[in-house]
Amino acid sequence: MISFSRKTARTGTVLALLYASLMTLQAQSATSRIVSAANTFLSTLNDKQRQSVLFAFDDAKQRANWSNFPIVMVPRSGINLKEMSATQRAAAMALLSSVLSPRGFEKVQQIMEGDEINKNTDTGPPQSGNNGGGPPPRRSSSPPPFGNGPIFGKDLYFISFLGKPSEKDPWMLQFGGHHLALNITIAGEHGVLTPTLTGAQPALYTFEGKTVRPLGGESDQALALLNALDASQKKQAILGFQLADLVLGPGQDGKTIQPEGLKASAMNAMQRAMLLGVISEWANIIDESAAATRMAELKADLNETWFAWSGPVTAEPGKNITAYYRIQGPHLVIEYAPQRLGGDPSMHVHTMYRDPTNDYGRRFTAK
Amino acid sequence: MSKIFPIVVVLSLVVPASAHRVDEYLQATIVSVERDRVQFSMRLVPGIAVSSGIIATIDTNRDGIISETERQTYAQRILADLTLSIDGNPLQPQLISAVFPTMEEMKQGLGEIRIEFIASLPAGGTNRRLTLVNHHQSQIAAYLVNCLVPSDPEIRVLAQHRDEKQSFYELDYVQSSASVAPYIRCLSSLRGWTGAVGFASIFRRGMHHIADGTDHLLFLLALLLPAPLLLSGSRWAGFAGVRQSLLQIFRVVTAFTIGHSITLALAALGAMHVPSRPIEVLIAVSILVSAVHAIRPIFPGGGAGIAMFFGLIHGLAFATSLGHLELGWWQRVLSILGFNLGIEAMQLIVVAATIPSLMLMSRSRLYSPLRIVGALFAGCAATGWILNRLLNMHTSVDLIVDALAHRAVWIAGGLFLSSLVCGLRYRITDQSFRRYLLTLMGGL
Repeated sequence: MISFSRKTARTGTVLALLYASLMTLQAQSATSRIVSAANTFLSTLNDKQRQSVLFAFDDAKQRANWSNFPIVMVPRSGINLKEMSATQRAAAMALLSSVLSPRGFEKVQQIMEGDEINKNTDTGPPQSGNNGGGPPPRRSSSPPPFGNGPIFGKDLYFISFLGKPSEKDPWMLQFGGHHLALNITIAGEHGVLTPTLTGAQPALYTFEGKTVRPLGGESDQALALLNALDASQKKQAILGFQLADLVLGPGQDGKTIQPEGLKASAMNAMQRAMLLGVISEWANIIDESAAATRMAELKADLNETWFAWSGPVTAEPGKNITAYYRIQGPHLVIEYAPQRLGGDPSMHVHTMYRDPTNDYGRRFTAK
Repeated sequence: MSKIFPIVVVLSLVVPASAHRVDEYLQATIVSVERDRVQFSMRLVPGIAVSSGIIATIDTNRDGIISETERQTYAQRILADLTLSIDGNPLQPQLISAVFPTMEEMKQGLGEIRIEFIASLPAGGTNRRLTLVNHHQSQIAAYLVNCLVPSDPEIRVLAQHRDEKQSFYELDYVQSSASVAPYIRCLSSLRGWTGAVGFASIFRRGMHHIADGTDHLLFLLALLLPAPLLLSGSRWAGFAGVRQSLLQIFRVVTAFTIGHSITLALAALGAMHVPSRPIEVLIAVSILVSAVHAIRPIFPGGGAGIAMFFGLIHGLAFATSLGHLELGWWQRVLSILGFNLGIEAMQLIVVAATIPSLMLMSRSRLYSPLRIVGALFAGCAATGWILNRLLNMHTSVDLIVDALAHRAVWIAGGLFLSSLVCGLRYRITDQSFRRYLLTLMGGL
C-alpha cells in the first residue's frame, strides 16, 4: 500500500514536472513565434518605413498615442496597412494573428471590416442623436476642417513597435485606428494586452452574407449575467445614475477608481462562471498561453471583482445592449459604453480593457 | 475655416457620425481625497454641435483666440458653477491649473479642457461627507464623477451617492487618525459580517484592534507603571508588596474595562453619538494625565477612578464609527460582545507580559528612573498627539510609536530579562516576593 502510494506520488511528480516544462516550452514558443513573426514583418519594410514604425521602448508619448477616434481626428504614428505593399500587409496580419487568439484576431478583423462599412455607407449628414434636450446640431455651414483624406476604412489601421522585438527584453506592439487600440507588451514569456480599446460601429452588420457583431459576446454574455441575478443582487449591481461614457478611456492611464456595484463574492457559482465568461471576451483576445495566465489571475481575484450596470436592462433580440457596464477587480477594469452618436446606442459601442497594476506590462518591465 | 476647406468636401466627410457625442458637453470629474485636502481633476469636452456655443462663452471678445485672461475667467466660471461642501460646510475650491485645447480641436468637438482644483479640508470627525454639485451648462451637460481609491491607507470610501444625471455627487468616507484607525478598520470590516462569520472572527478582530491601538495601550501601560508602588503622601515610595500590587493592577485594569465596556455597549445600541474629534483629543489627554500620575501621584486610590473615567472615553472612540454599521440590533450586540472580549483578552496578554517585569523591577532602585523615562515617553507621545489632533500639526509621534509597537515582543522580552537581572542583583529579602519569584520561574 505504502509502496504503491509512493509510486503514485513519484509518477505524479514526474508528470507534473513534465507538464510544467511543457507549459514553459509552450510559453517560450509563443514568444519566439511572435518575435519571429515581428522580425519577418520588419524585414519586409524599407529603411524609411522601418524608421517610422520603430520607437524607443520608453517613448511615453507614443505609448499613450491611441484613441477611439478616427485617425484623421487623432493621428496615429507608425505606418498603416494602406501604405503597405501586399507582402508587407500579409506579414503584418500574420504578426497580428501570431500575437492574438483565433477569436481575438477575428474580432479585430470584424472591427476593421465595420469601419470599411462606415466608409461605404456613411455619406449622409450625421444623425444628431439629439434626444437629450440639447440644442440643435451644428449648422452645416461651420463643419470641422479635417482635410480631404479618408476617415474610415479597413486599411486605415496603424502598426508600431516600442523597443525591438526580442525574446528576452520587453517590447510593445501597437495596432490600431478607429475603434481599435491594441497595446501588447511582450516581456519574456509574459504577454500583456492592457490597455486595449475595442469598439464597433456599426455593432451589427452583414458581411459576405453573414450577420456580424464584432462585440456581440461582450453584450450578450453581460446581459445574460444580469438576467441571472436575483432581485437583491440586481439592486446592488444596477447603479441609479447615467454613465454617458468611458470613465477610464484613452488618456486616463494610471487611475484606480473606487469600485461600485455587486461584488462577485455575493454571486453563486453559476453567476461567477458567467462573469468570467464576460471577462474572457477581452482576456482571450491575446494568444492562448498569455490568455490562460491572465484568466487564472482574474479567476483568483473573483471575490474582489465588481459588476456594475447602468441603463436599460433589456435588449432587442439579436442586437447589442444599450446599457453601460463595468467590471472591476484588483487587476482589472472593463468598461462597455454604448454611444448615443448615430442615434441608436445599440449600434455604436466603445469598450476599455485595463489592468491598473499592469497597463503596458509595467509589472514585468519596471526596472 | 470654410474658406480653406470647401463646403462640398466637408459635407461629404460627415465626420461626427462616427466620432463622439455631438450634442452634449461631457464633464468628467475625478475626485481624490487626502488627509487635509481634496483634489479634483475635470475634463470638459464640448461636443461638435454645442462647441460653438461654448467657444462663444470662452472667447468673450470673439477674436478667435483664447487668451490667458479668457482661460482664467472661464475656469473660474466653472468653479463658480460648482457647489462644494464637507460635512455640510461649504468649501472654497482653488484653481490649480487650466489647460485648454486649440480652437480647431474645440470646433471639431475634440477639444478637451482640463482643469485641476483643490480645496483644503478643515479638521473634522472620523466620518466625513464630501458633496460636489455641478451646475455648469446643465442644459447640455453629461456629467461623470468618480473618486480614486484613496492612496492614504487611513482613508476608506464607504459610499458614493449620485443623482441620475451625476450632477449631484456625495462621497462618504472614514478618515481615521492613527488612534482611531484600528477601531474603524475593525468596525468597518464588521459591515460585511452577517452572522455567518461567527463570534471567533469578531473576537480575533477585537484582539488585533487593541494590539494595533497604540495610544490605547500606552494609556494602560502608563497607568500600570506606578501600580506596584506604595503611595506615600504626594510621592511614590517603594514596592507595595505582591498582594497589594496585584490587587492594585487588578483594580486599574477592571476599572478601565468597565469604563470602555459601558460606552461601547451604549454605542452598540445606538444610544449615543459623539463627535470623534474631541474624543481623539481626550484620549491623548488621558495618556498625558496618566503619564503625569506615573511620575507624581495626582489621584488618590492608585488610579482606579481615573482608569474608569478615561475608559469611558476610550470606549466612546468606537461610538463614532458605529453609526455606519448597518447591522441588526442583535447582530450588533453579538459583534460588540465578541469584539470587546477580544479586546479584554489582548489586554490581559499585555498585562501578563509586562506586569511580572514591573513587579520584579519595582523592588530595585532602578525602577524609579525607568518609571520616569517611561512616563516621560508616554507624556511626549501624548503631547504630540494632542498637537496633531487639536491643531492639525504634523508630528512624527505616530511613526515613532508605531515603530516601537512593532517591536513590542522584543521590548517586553528585554524588559523581563533586565528585571530578572535587577531581581538577582538587589538582594531579595522579602519572603513573599521570593516565593512569588520562584513560582514565576517555575511557571516558565
